[in-house]
Amino acid sequence: MSDILELLVSAASSGCIYGLVALSYLVMIRPTGIINFAVGEWAAVGLFAAFFLLTNRWLPLPYALALIAAVAFTGLIGWGTQRIAVRPLVEKGAPILGPILALLGMLAIFRESISLIFGPDPHNLPAPFGLRQVSLGPFAGTPRDFFIIGCTAAVFVGVWLFFERTVWGKAFEAVALNRKAAALMGINLRRVTVAAFVGGAAIAGFAGVLYSLTAPRDFLMGLPLAVQGFSALVVGGVGRVEGAILGGMILALAEQLTARYADQIGIPSGMSLGVPFLLMIVFLLARPTGLLRPKEAAA
Amino acid sequence: MSAPPLLSARGLTKRFGGLVAVDGVDFDVFAGEILGLIGPNGAGKTTTFNLIAGAFAPTSGTLDFEGKPIHGLGPHEVAGRGIMRTFQHNMPFAGMSLIDNVLVGCHRRMQSGLAALVMGSRRAAAEEEKARRRAAELIGFVGLGDVADTPVVNLSFGQGRLLEVARGLAGEPRLMLFDEPAAGLTPAEAERLSDIIRGIAKRGIAVLLIEHDMRFLLPLAERVIVLNFGRKIADGTPDAIRRDPAVVEAYLGEASTIGAGEEAARA
Repeated sequence: MSDILELLVSAASSGCIYGLVALSYLVMIRPTGIINFAVGEWAAVGLFAAFFLLTNRWLPLPYALALIAAVAFTGLIGWGTQRIAVRPLVEKGAPILGPILALLGMLAIFRESISLIFGPDPHNLPAPFGLRQVSLGPFAGTPRDFFIIGCTAAVFVGVWLFFERTVWGKAFEAVALNRKAAALMGINLRRVTVAAFVGGAAIAGFAGVLYSLTAPRDFLMGLPLAVQGFSALVVGGVGRVEGAILGGMILALAEQLTARYADQIGIPSGMSLGVPFLLMIVFLLARPTGLLRPKEAAA
Repeated sequence: MSAPPLLSARGLTKRFGGLVAVDGVDFDVFAGEILGLIGPNGAGKTTTFNLIAGAFAPTSGTLDFEGKPIHGLGPHEVAGRGIMRTFQHNMPFAGMSLIDNVLVGCHRRMQSGLAALVMGSRRAAAEEEKARRRAAELIGFVGLGDVADTPVVNLSFGQGRLLEVARGLAGEPRLMLFDEPAAGLTPAEAERLSDIIRGIAKRGIAVLLIEHDMRFLLPLAERVIVLNFGRKIADGTPDAIRRDPAVVEAYLGEASTIGAGEEAARA
């Protein structure tokens, strides 16, 4: 029993990271319709930026400051990415596939730049917490797990409040629902696009920083994380912020259950790598809108 | 009127290939007036409307709003200057509640930027609160108070039209454009809408209406501009327009439309 509770905590902490990546996709898809697979690379940018800020020999920053600066830097990278690969295409009237492909190109540029700067070896953020077990009621886990869960909860509450409670959030949603009418309401589509990409990148960068707390990561970390985040998004649904975290949790739980118990029933545990794809296919066939339907479908 | 016009068009022209949809039209719109824009089908009313709203730029000619040129600006910039519009076919943001739809309209008046909001600035929060109160007030003004929290997909067509009006007003416009607002409304709903439009003009907001339904337009408008084949053929009070021979000729075959209006054409 304590085994399964421990598994739950560890699944929840990976689920949080997948959920954050799914959220990064979501804040960009909502207003622009653009699926940006470079989110994984943004996560890597956040991670390596944090690594650099913490360990450089000129001006190593204190932990909290380094994390914040790394997230802000990733937001800046998000701005640059949309300026280069999204805005020129959208303004020339390219179909939505144009920026999606251009962003795949950016993905390769980010990945190779990181490998050139930091080399191919895995990097690890210095751990701010020890690795001892702590217990929270019946749940046991490392402080790291609880840190990840707490941070993710804060981000999700913030983003949820933004979409549900602010006029700006409503403007984002209005753009997603009807671009033409939104523009005629005085909403600046360009500014919304910028905000979506900066916000999406900052969230992805934060996910990357948290991700590095769980294991050393190398420059190839981006794409698998992008796939896991995307699967989480497909499972949870694009229509609701809550869907991203729900999808992330389901995906992580499925992965960990496979990794831990699959070989006992004769399936090699390496199969857990296929779990995201399997879940994605099942959900696309059975429930293409995701678990949480967008509100107009529910009404 | 001695006050300078709010909106003035001079030599407004729009060509689509070989077709001249709007051909050298001049007109003024003054604050607080209700101005009708009429004409037979294909006269260039909708094109004129779209030129004002920034849906496309004029081929030549100028549009000045509060003394500053607005021709060639994009739709969100025109809206930003204080010109809001309603659509002939309702364009609500489906999936949002009524009050949220109106809040989107408030967007233009938000002074604090996104950054201030994310940083949790107190001014931004106060503004949010103000926008919410304003949205509720406008929903009351158009008479949708009972259904404020309803998802917009559940509204009737007439209620949807009133929502469009409230959403437009939320941007605190100086000029409201109505694209055939009576189309599809029941007589009772059209009557309600007339009262609301009069109320808007009383607030000092200029109202420019395109309308096919003369029974709706003529009692409502204080002044009417008539277009035919892209040119302005008349500009005057509803009574003067009714008697104008050029207007009667333009509507030949639709004569009853401009006259008593029994056969009022609905688009």
